[in-house]
Amino acid sequence: MHGTRRLTLFHYWVAFATFLVAIVLGAWQMLMRSPLPAPLDDSAAYYASVTLHGTAMAYVVTTFFIMGFGYAVAATSLGRPLRGVTAAWVGFATCLLGTVMAVAAIVSGRASVLYTFYPPLLASAWYYGGAFLLIGGSMIWVAVMIVNMTQWKRDNPGRPVPLPMFAIAATAILWAWAASGVLIELACILLPRAFGWSDLIDAELGRTLFSVTLHAIVYFWLMPAYIAFYTLVPQAAGGRLYSDTMGRLTFIMLLVFALPVGMHHLLADPGHGSGFKFLQSALTFLVVLPTLLTVFSICASLEVAGRVRGGRGLFGWIGALPWKEPMVLAVGLSLVMLGLGGFGGLINMSYAMNLMIHNTSWVTAHFHLIFGGAVVIMYFAIAYQMWPQITGKPLRSKALARTQLWLWFWGMLITTIPWHIAGLMGQPRRVSSFDYADPLMARMGPLVIVSVIGGLMLLVSAILLIVVLIRSHFGEKTAEAPLRYALAVNPPVRVPASLNGFGLWNAIVLVLMVIAYGYPIGQFFFLKQHSVPAVEVTSQTGVEERP
Amino acid sequence: MDHDQDAAKLRNPWPRFGWWFTATLLIVAAVLGFVVLGRYQQNGPELDLWTAICRAVGITSESRAAGAPQPPLRTPTRIAWTAATISQIASGNAKHGASVAVTCVACHGEQVSASPLFPTLAGMDATVIYKQLDDFRSGKRQPGVMSAIATALSERDSADVAAYFATREGGLAPIAGEPLPAGGRSLRQSDPTIRLVFAGDPGRGLPPCAACHGPGDRKLGAPTLNGQQAAYIESQLTAFAQGGRQNDINQQMRVIAEQLTPDEIHALAQHYGGRGLSRAVQTNDPATTQARRARGFETRLAASR
Repeated sequence: MHGTRRLTLFHYWVAFATFLVAIVLGAWQMLMRSPLPAPLDDSAAYYASVTLHGTAMAYVVTTFFIMGFGYAVAATSLGRPLRGVTAAWVGFATCLLGTVMAVAAIVSGRASVLYTFYPPLLASAWYYGGAFLLIGGSMIWVAVMIVNMTQWKRDNPGRPVPLPMFAIAATAILWAWAASGVLIELACILLPRAFGWSDLIDAELGRTLFSVTLHAIVYFWLMPAYIAFYTLVPQAAGGRLYSDTMGRLTFIMLLVFALPVGMHHLLADPGHGSGFKFLQSALTFLVVLPTLLTVFSICASLEVAGRVRGGRGLFGWIGALPWKEPMVLAVGLSLVMLGLGGFGGLINMSYAMNLMIHNTSWVTAHFHLIFGGAVVIMYFAIAYQMWPQITGKPLRSKALARTQLWLWFWGMLITTIPWHIAGLMGQPRRVSSFDYADPLMARMGPLVIVSVIGGLMLLVSAILLIVVLIRSHFGEKTAEAPLRYALAVNPPVRVPASLNGFGLWNAIVLVLMVIAYGYPIGQFFFLKQHSVPAVEVTSQTGVEERP
Repeated sequence: MDHDQDAAKLRNPWPRFGWWFTATLLIVAAVLGFVVLGRYQQNGPELDLWTAICRAVGITSESRAAGAPQPPLRTPTRIAWTAATISQIASGNAKHGASVAVTCVACHGEQVSASPLFPTLAGMDATVIYKQLDDFRSGKRQPGVMSAIATALSERDSADVAAYFATREGGLAPIAGEPLPAGGRSLRQSDPTIRLVFAGDPGRGLPPCAACHGPGDRKLGAPTLNGQQAAYIESQLTAFAQGGRQNDINQQMRVIAEQLTPDEIHALAQHYGGRGLSRAVQTNDPATTQARRARGFETRLAASR
């Protein structure tokens, strides 16, 4: 078990250290695009910074955090040492090497293509190579998770796989499906062009392949939050999980409905017909099923806990919950942000409404609220919950942790609500600076200034997080507290095979993917030719040349 | 359901539910997406079933009309920045280029051009000269004296003469190493011309000149402007604006120039014409200029590969 703790700790520290750097960049970017004066007022630096912020938050922080979380969950929920620790360390080293390569390329100013790559923009091969190693390296984690689950099932025939392990295995399988798009894009389109083996670049095919990844990756990020909702929150609140079967169904539906839906990111793209856009848009809506199921289950589990703690009446149980526990506080704040962000998401995924907000600040606001808010606040809570278990030292202190969570919540709302409004007014995203003297932009100025204040609150909150974690890490050694998962009200004794493994669901995903993506990807090989010359990002930034 | 112990058997409840649910979902979504929504057009005539399905999968009426007469395809230039083109230019022989250039210097000058209406070529990036010669040869740029001269040159000659002018001293100021103004690329610049050059005008969708022409960033085929004849820059911007010149690969110069006022065009021309040259003459340190120029070209070449 000790080996797994070190493994988890290393992954978590890479994630949170990167997180802090990326937050500083984010705060500067907000200042840069606001009417306020910013240090280093330079567009080239802005795009390099956006690329670094996106790459760090979307690939580095999440992948490292989820890998570390997965190792911890596998070891603790199965109650036996992790199989494949050596492979896990090889995966860690590969991902770290990839991260260093990608960061070096971005900092040199030769990879300012944003983390979604946007071919025909072309970055340095170091950036693509780094991203490939980082994402490819995480496939070792996927294999370790699947091996641990299948070996446990073999050793315990007929017994239900513990829900945390079942859920993290669903996460791993989802990530393997999701990453296939970006890995193929990197290996077959971007890297060959960056190495100079081809002259042209098939931008449409590249973007379509990326869309396979682009929405499912969001659910990959979301999964640890949902796992915490089902397995850690009821325990922290002092109650039990309302239904184990609902948990299994939720993770199965997230796996199935996260994948054949990525084309709703291409609703304004000229390369695809309206039929497939509508089909994938319709499938996207089904994600409300696991989401609403989860909101119901978690509220029910919390009510069980509140009533066990003496809460009475229709709403009395809410006040009886232990809100001083970071995990309980975080789930409350997370559900508020999930609700607000979710309604915004309905507009993004609707084929007919998307055009109103396409490529505006609304979209940036949406994914910051859902991912940066609802999901990342659960990452904090998971870290606070696990820190005593993996360091063997108590959390110092819960009060500071609560302050950090509140600050993050308000910071995120103050940042993203003005962005939503500015987006509706038509403020484009991915633009380094605006001419606020222009009457069209002038009315957005105050909103952008308010969001900068939210950004600064987020920065302070991130610093507080690191302070809490470091203080706890170097605190006094105390007795170890094992990580406990919530028991279900009716613990499962025997479950149907379909809810204890992923064979059936992988087959369904395969069919859905072939139908949803077969023609849209296949058309580029026999119908359309979209190859165009690449637009190289060869910025010499000019900054270092300044006398 | 406890007996449901084989996920592959369709008679078990969960597999049956899973497959039925998936099939129903796909059929309903496909009928709506490929037939109903495509067929009933709010602002147009109702389509027949086949056309509606074709539209929905992305095959439009334009892609069907292969037999119908098409307007002639007009490309702005024959040049694409492929590795082959770039290495062809890079292999230009400046010594041989000097003998080809005997004709050129009569108008374009050894260092500075003879008339403000002709562009100065000394110090111009080789890719630019090569592309313009090819555009004259293929009729993509207004026919005239230059078309006749360019037609007489082979591709090899073009690369050589481009290499010759690219290495000439005392003409255009090199971009690599050119510092940014004190305000950087900020939209808060007070001088409107400097703002156009380094920050553009987002309100009109105008990118900064410097994004392609330097300093800071360079795009292949974008000419060096520092020290160019002001009258020549003005005439070319006007030609782009009025459609007289159409050989910019992605139409970017036509789009930009169209939106500039005559005063702005004049000010930009003065800005580039009035600076750079004096600086190059002042510096007058062949070693430094040569090194900068060589470095600039190598960086771009390496980056483009």
